[in-house]
Amino acid sequence: MEAAAIRSKIKEIISNVTNIPVEEIGDRASFRDDLDLDSLSLLEIGVDVDYAFKLGLPEEQIQEIQTVQDTVDLVLKCLGERLAHAEVA
Amino acid sequence: MDARVVVTGIGVVTPIGSGRQAFWRHLLAGRCGVAPVESFDTSGYKVHVGCEVKDFDPAPYVERLEAERLGRASQLAIAAARLALADAERAAEDLEPARCGVAMGTTSGEPREVERFDDCYVAERLEQVDDRFMSLYPCHVIAGHVAAELGFAGPNLVIPAACAAGNYAIANALDVLRAGRAELMLAGGADCFSRITYTGFARLGAIAPERCQPFDKNRRGMIPGEGAAVLVLEPLARALARGAPVYAEVRGYGLSCDAHHMTAAHPDGAARAMARALEESGAGADEVAYVSAHGTGTPTNDRLETRALERIFGDRARRLPTSSIKSMIGHTMGAASAIEGAVCALAVHDDHVPPTIHFERPDPECEVDCVPNEARAMKVPVAMNNAYAFGGNNASVIFRKVPEARP
Amino acid sequence: MNAAERRVVVTGAGVICALGDAPSAVYRRLCAGEGAIAPVEAFAVDGLRCREAAAVAGFEPRRYLGQGNLRPLDRTAQLVAAAAQLALDASGWTRERRHEHELGLALGTMFGSVHTISAFDRRALTAGPIYAKPMDFANTVINAAAGQTAIWHGLTGVNSTLSGGTTSGLLALAYAADLIRSGRASALLAGGGDELCFESFYGFYRTGRMAGSRNGAAPCAVPFDARRNGFVLGEGAALLMLEEERAARRRGAPILAEIRGHGSGYDPSRGRDGESGRDALVRAVDAALADAGLAPHAIDAVSASANGSVAGDRCEAAGLAAVFGRPLPPVAAVKSMLGECLGASGALQTLTLIEALDGGVLPGIRGLEHADAALASNGTPDGTPDATPGDLARSRPLAIDAGLVSAVGLDGNVGALVVSRAGEGDG
Repeated sequence: MEAAAIRSKIKEIISNVTNIPVEEIGDRASFRDDLDLDSLSLLEIGVDVDYAFKLGLPEEQIQEIQTVQDTVDLVLKCLGERLAHAEVA
Repeated sequence: MDARVVVTGIGVVTPIGSGRQAFWRHLLAGRCGVAPVESFDTSGYKVHVGCEVKDFDPAPYVERLEAERLGRASQLAIAAARLALADAERAAEDLEPARCGVAMGTTSGEPREVERFDDCYVAERLEQVDDRFMSLYPCHVIAGHVAAELGFAGPNLVIPAACAAGNYAIANALDVLRAGRAELMLAGGADCFSRITYTGFARLGAIAPERCQPFDKNRRGMIPGEGAAVLVLEPLARALARGAPVYAEVRGYGLSCDAHHMTAAHPDGAARAMARALEESGAGADEVAYVSAHGTGTPTNDRLETRALERIFGDRARRLPTSSIKSMIGHTMGAASAIEGAVCALAVHDDHVPPTIHFERPDPECEVDCVPNEARAMKVPVAMNNAYAFGGNNASVIFRKVPEARP
Repeated sequence: MNAAERRVVVTGAGVICALGDAPSAVYRRLCAGEGAIAPVEAFAVDGLRCREAAAVAGFEPRRYLGQGNLRPLDRTAQLVAAAAQLALDASGWTRERRHEHELGLALGTMFGSVHTISAFDRRALTAGPIYAKPMDFANTVINAAAGQTAIWHGLTGVNSTLSGGTTSGLLALAYAADLIRSGRASALLAGGGDELCFESFYGFYRTGRMAGSRNGAAPCAVPFDARRNGFVLGEGAALLMLEEERAARRRGAPILAEIRGHGSGYDPSRGRDGESGRDALVRAVDAALADAGLAPHAIDAVSASANGSVAGDRCEAAGLAAVFGRPLPPVAAVKSMLGECLGASGALQTLTLIEALDGGVLPGIRGLEHADAALASNGTPDGTPDATPGDLARSRPLAIDAGLVSAVGLDGNVGALVVSRAGEGDG
């Protein structure tokens, strides 16, 4: 999956939780500073992202994401690792 | 508003003991009720402990109704109600039914009934849903079952104010008695161990892996629990006339709403509830000798609660004994503040306050005297019971010593 | 100022129900005998013998709540928050005014949202507990709708959720009235709300208490009708703004009615023993009348809770007959048109009576054709000798100065509330 498609899906999830239109969510937006999200919304987004990409993220990683870009990177990394595992297997 | 209302009976069912004496003894001894969860399989969770009431048998308490036709929260509530009436030296048969009412708090009502429905639903076996699901599940049945068991025909209400529900119920009972709408009220709270509740708090990352350490610098969260408490409340004049045991006067209460966030508390609301309770009680903040804290043991709650206490008690907040029995019995949800109300009444009556156990390291952000690890013998002329809930519902209740009553 | 001097008045109302979203329009349609019971569309009812309900079709929360983020609110909370907005508007509590004055909320509800609770659990069961939805968990508490509504509208006063089954809404009005009388609050929204959802629909269906849910019976949910065999579910939210009279007059608020008194109790037989249930209702009504300082003959109309339930309607008719003797005051039963709206019902019944104070017409009991013989021998809802079922079915002109709202729950809760025209501001 390409970064653009992942980013688009993540923005859609953020929009569903926050009611912020997708086009107003910047690629590098900070969840707390730019989007003014509280911790419950952040967790909801983390769970939805994890579920959408079937990542099985550890708690700590969900809590570490601070920006839209962090989230895209995390998803890419997890998907990449999964692919590597699959190739090794 | 001048009728004085007192606690004449206490019934509790908790993870560390049932009945007033056993509970109070174990509480002052600092017993811990945490154990591996047995109600359901936690293998899919990161946490595995809870505070369940092990080996609870409703049979000795449920006489008129059939125990197997009641949800577990109703069973716990009936047990607490029977224990409370016996403690108050009242037999249900000797009371005038229409003048006796019930006010109960709960977070989830009878969650196991909806959990059973959900099991059938996901298994695509709806035909296996119990025909009695809708008769057993709605939360109001808890007070209804207590009243039906005891034959009580007076005012009957459930206040599902989540984790502050017990205090809301005690407050309501106080008003019902003051308005002369009943002569005896059973007031308290009940919740049973629930998969739904456990799942939710686990997902929020709010459950501690091993133990609950309120106000400790390294506290890691709450531990879900279950239980019930019922207080017998009567007008003081009636209690004195019949020579009843009197634990404490329920002197006043304060309610408020944060209107801020569903799950994140705000110190303003908590402080307003405390201030209002003190105002109604005619007690100065300096008269409060003991505070039963909400004290869930989550990093955020205990910090914000300390800020609220500082607003009311100023510098004295650091020296004011403020313990959380959730360190011992976990967070019993809607029952919590009812059990803690019983604790306040007992502290006032018995000149002891229970400890906060598992306390190791002070937190500079939680500078309270949490009565660390050891119960303390001390006079408690006035005690304050604080509870805060999802939905921003805050409730504080004031208990006061009744010098003229039978000791 | 003592309790007797603090009078409780209604300064506005908000409603969202199957017959509309404005008290006057809902009342007009009730008087016109318009039913709102229709095939269920919100969820699948294939294979069930019951397929109808009085739903709020096409509910659009943004019409009432504007452009904010509605995601944190489930459907029950949206219904309640919308009704609250309407009640705040009607009573003149602007956002600016709310900043200066603490408003409370007493919300009656039977379930909060059993749909939210069940869906949260099912998601964790099917996807695994780590995929449980955090924002939905916040709404699994039964006080979620009250909490969310307080957040949405900035209501920082007393916030209480009251549950007494289908009497919840009436109990919430009584609770709020007492907070005002005791001086704890001067203005609160009070009433109730519950949604229509599969979980409660299917659950009630399985109890056999829904009209037509038992094998071989054609559904009949007509209150007090001999053919009745259960209720039809409805949904909605209704809130009244209750205020201390002098404070309300000082701010120049519209005064629609006065809450005069109330009483409640419990039938320990939980509806199984007709006499026990009747006696419980009689005590509640007597207590309400005494609290109001009114004799039974001062009651011009009754807004009953009858919903087609076999035992419940009989209990209510018997209780009213025992209090009022014959002839009974005229009785309305709005659930014949709105269905059983659970926590909202008591507030909808009260709202109807308040509208009738000015409207001068009492809605009829839609569909009543055969008043139950058992009821007739024990006092029909309208015991006047010449009253036929046809008379009861039709709306009638009626001058109402004071009326009674009665509520008999499904399993033991009973309540009564007296409303009247507001007296002049002589205090």
